[in-house]
Amino acid sequence: MIGSAFIWLLLIAAGILILMKQWPLWTLFILGAAGVLEVLAVVVILPAMRWKRWRYEVREQEIELQRGVFIVRRTLIPMIRVQHVDTEQGPLLRKYGLGAIKVSTAATVHDIPAVEIEEAEEMRKVISALARVAEEDV
Amino acid sequence: MSDPQKLHPIAALLTFLKELKNLVFPVVFLVLMGKGQKNGFWDYLPLAGAGVMVLFVLIAGVVKWLRFTYRLEEGELKIEYGLFIKKKRYIPIERIQSLHISEGLLHRAFGLVKVSVETAGGAESESEAELTAIKKAEAQVLQQFIKQEKKRKSESAVNSHADEAEEADHEDSIFYRSRLSELLLMAATSGGIGVVLSAVFAFLSQFQDVIPYEKIFKEASHFIEMGVAVIAFIVFLALLIAWGVSIGLTLLRYAGFTLRKGKENLMIQKGLLEKQQLTIPVDRVQGITISENPLRQILGYCSVHLESAGSRGEEEDSASMMIMPMVKKERALNMLAELFPDYCFSAELTPLPARAASRYIGRACLYVLLPIGAAVWFFWPFGLGFLAAFMLAALYGFVRFKGAGWRIDGRQLTIRARKVSLQTSFVLKNRIQSLEVIQTWRQKQKDLASVHAAIRSGIGGKRIKVANVSFNDAGEIYRWYELKKEEDYDPGDRDGYCRD
Repeated sequence: MIGSAFIWLLLIAAGILILMKQWPLWTLFILGAAGVLEVLAVVVILPAMRWKRWRYEVREQEIELQRGVFIVRRTLIPMIRVQHVDTEQGPLLRKYGLGAIKVSTAATVHDIPAVEIEEAEEMRKVISALARVAEEDV
Repeated sequence: MSDPQKLHPIAALLTFLKELKNLVFPVVFLVLMGKGQKNGFWDYLPLAGAGVMVLFVLIAGVVKWLRFTYRLEEGELKIEYGLFIKKKRYIPIERIQSLHISEGLLHRAFGLVKVSVETAGGAESESEAELTAIKKAEAQVLQQFIKQEKKRKSESAVNSHADEAEEADHEDSIFYRSRLSELLLMAATSGGIGVVLSAVFAFLSQFQDVIPYEKIFKEASHFIEMGVAVIAFIVFLALLIAWGVSIGLTLLRYAGFTLRKGKENLMIQKGLLEKQQLTIPVDRVQGITISENPLRQILGYCSVHLESAGSRGEEEDSASMMIMPMVKKERALNMLAELFPDYCFSAELTPLPARAASRYIGRACLYVLLPIGAAVWFFWPFGLGFLAAFMLAALYGFVRFKGAGWRIDGRQLTIRARKVSLQTSFVLKNRIQSLEVIQTWRQKQKDLASVHAAIRSGIGGKRIKVANVSFNDAGEIYRWYELKKEEDYDPGDRDGYCRD
């Protein structure tokens, strides 16, 4: 988000510079093409890549998440640290029969953004059954 | 104690002053707006508005005091308040972790204290479980009562050696008391780096005869002499004054700092004008951090903070609690080993691989790229001199790289990293809530990764981070965290465990 806004700021600044200095018109076209490419990347390509790389695994002892295209994050959440699990469904997710899972520990919240809703519900049950918070650890 | 008790009337005044503090900006704004000629009703409106706001806050303070009651009943601390909406907060006594007692100037004038009730965990319980002003004696009665109630509860649960615990609790002797010289040194070295730098600058400008500034900056020489010298002097003076004030404030805040060690709690007392008394249950400690800012590191001193779950901490915005403000590092390590026998305070860390250095240096240079670029552009061609700042940035990056490191001892993870201060954090595996290994594509090219360990701190979380360890090492930390038992972890050819 911030990166995208930054790129647009740069593009706009460059556009203003071109207009002020009255540089040839084709530079503006290049700028426009860059803008279109940016939108394409942010709206179409990147989300698709992100989705392709998203992995989660719920095991008896822990939950493991892996995600990211340029920045790969791998997270480990032991079951005994899980405090509660929520599923969420906004209007858009509901339309496609999806749901989001939020796994909360005493210090962090981890999102799994779009899972089939049945699977999400199932996973919530499994996680809350497996999660036994060790009281002394908080 | 089972009858509803009221706060001392001073509480109304304190609430008023506290709320007024939040209103300072709108009120000042309105008053400024209301200045000037008055030609009728509308010109008085801003002033009237300010008056109404202040009056409203005053009435709210009085009403709150009038309606606020607390009592101990049926093993619960019951607090009730509110005019139109009656709010009741019942806190079971066994959920009360500790009472934090503090006294400001107004409190002291009337022999009062402020009591904040610390409960375990509850994210939603903040300032309302707070008795703004009660008599000292009442606070002591409250403390005693809670202690007895807790004891009774635990006795009926397990009929164990409660007497023993009681005895030990009385024995809590002063574990550490900071000396005035240490506090002075602490005050003098806190954020004092700016002063030192400007002092060096002022000092260097005395060497105009020796160093041929004029030859270096031929045309800019008069500019350097006049403008910069005057500005540098003013900046230096301002910093000096700020420094003096900060020394005074630090001394007031930390004067008489004592740390007591009970059987289950650490108790901290500090402050000259505003006295504070904090209690930290040892079994709620989530992590320990030793931090050394550059100046203190040179002098061999450090300060020690605790991360504790559920408590609000001494500052509004952070949940860390300082348990040693300024101690020789050697002594701090010894004292920590005595306070927390479960931990291992070893100094030998696994350093980062050499290929990580360029990442730190590059990152630091990137930060200053824009300002330096701008400076070069504006002061062309003399601005080229600003390029030297890259050297400083590179040095900063290198120092960060040198400082960073990690270590695993049994079930403990030690991570050291530097922003400005060198911070060494010690956490036990069962206190780490989740662990993350992060690798950017640039790090991937160099086979490096960053490790974030999340622990609970106050009512939120805190991440302990180290960037650019070798990918293998990151994997090792990850596996260590993954394994159920620490016996399964093979420390390889690392030197033995801490406990000898």
